Amino acid sequence: MLTIKNLTKSYGPQQILKGIDFQVNQGDVITLIGPSGSGKTTLLRTITTLEKGDGGTIDFAGVQGELAHLSKNDIRTIRQNVGFVFQNYNLFNNKTTLQNVTEGLVVAHKIPKAQAKTIALAALKKVGMADYVDHYPSQLSGGQAQRVGIARAIALKPQVIFFDEPTSALDPELVGEVLKVMRQLAEEGATMVVITHQMNFARNVANKVVFMADGQVVEAGSPTDIFDHPQVPRTQQFLAEILSNV
Amino acid sequence: MTTLALIYKFLIQILPAIQITLIISVASIILGGLLGVALTRAKLSPHWWWRAIANVYISVIRATPAIIMIFVVYYGLPFLIKGWFHVSIEGWNRMYFVIIALTLLFSAPVAEIFRSAYLAVPAGQKEAALMVGMSPWQAFSRITLPQTFVIALPNLANAIINLLKEGALTFTIGVVDMVAKAQMIVSNNSGGFAFETYGALALIYWVISLAIDKLVSLVESSFQKKRQAIQP
Repeated sequence: MLTIKNLTKSYGPQQILKGIDFQVNQGDVITLIGPSGSGKTTLLRTITTLEKGDGGTIDFAGVQGELAHLSKNDIRTIRQNVGFVFQNYNLFNNKTTLQNVTEGLVVAHKIPKAQAKTIALAALKKVGMADYVDHYPSQLSGGQAQRVGIARAIALKPQVIFFDEPTSALDPELVGEVLKVMRQLAEEGATMVVITHQMNFARNVANKVVFMADGQVVEAGSPTDIFDHPQVPRTQQFLAEILSNV
Repeated sequence: MTTLALIYKFLIQILPAIQITLIISVASIILGGLLGVALTRAKLSPHWWWRAIANVYISVIRATPAIIMIFVVYYGLPFLIKGWFHVSIEGWNRMYFVIIALTLLFSAPVAEIFRSAYLAVPAGQKEAALMVGMSPWQAFSRITLPQTFVIALPNLANAIINLLKEGALTFTIGVVDMVAKAQMIVSNNSGGFAFETYGALALIYWVISLAIDKLVSLVESSFQKKRQAIQP
């Protein structure tokens, strides 16, 4: 469904992504793990065109082309077919909970207002935020805000939803409510790519785990492959470090 | 008559000229605001020459005292226009020259205010708008711009009050605004009651400034909950 080939990306002299091949199939729940600075976030941001890739190709939603030379239309098509959940929620501060979800439906996807409201309410209900439709982001807790962020993404019915460390900014006691929603989405068959440090989620919910380090995919496979039988020393070292901290 | 009664009497005499002051202020605010937005755009441009032009313009304008700007525009502009386009604008209503001068003066602080307010809106707001499929323009006009405006409001109010006060120099090129009217009253009284006359004038400016302040804080408080970030 989504294929990325040989993606490269540099900031100035520093190469962040050193030729990444990445594939997402319908119904996949992929977790991206790896040390900070390994390029996970940049990978997500480049695939979703928030950052411009230097090299590499994309094949997604009818768009086939070089990531460095996508037309405005191609970029729009890609963006309209992905959902993105941000680490810092990035809810629209000047919009209510309901408006945060309807905004993209009405403005970008040209869905009539009444219908957009129905879709938005269903999405908010799914994440348990239907009672907060008139609240502004400043009136929500981090966990609530992130659930609205997820509702905003799923309401658009994207082919794939990207999660960029969705629980990293949350207080520990709020992490659970967000992970629960994500787990529910996965069970319903949503296609998801998740950067996370929540190893339980990576192990129990994902069907595929990708370990990145230094701008490269070091190892990829099923959760069992990666967590129980990691082949590469770099992966073993990372897992040993992160699991010893728990 | 008591001082208060005199102040009241002069107030009533000066007040009709408020029309001129208001026309000049509102026109300068609108035109200067638009020019300021264009300058903001130039200052945030990825091309260095746009930024350079905007920076030079802003630093020159900010260093120009209002009275000099009014004189330069009033005496200089007809000369330039005649030289370039061979059109005489000397017969123009003098109010237009004041409006042009104040527009130039107002555009510089507005550009600075909008630029810093725009940069104060987290980049994630725009990114989130793009990721729900909005075009860059939709993201700007529906998400970033309203937040920029709210952040800019208090400073904008200050700039407007400054403009209002700079507009008190309008009389220097012979436009009969409130200040000119007050001067006439004083000279009609052979220099008498100057304190009461100018006191009345000061009172009017004070009330206008107060009204602007109040209006802005009302608008601000109605936006208050929309501009705060989320507590983690």
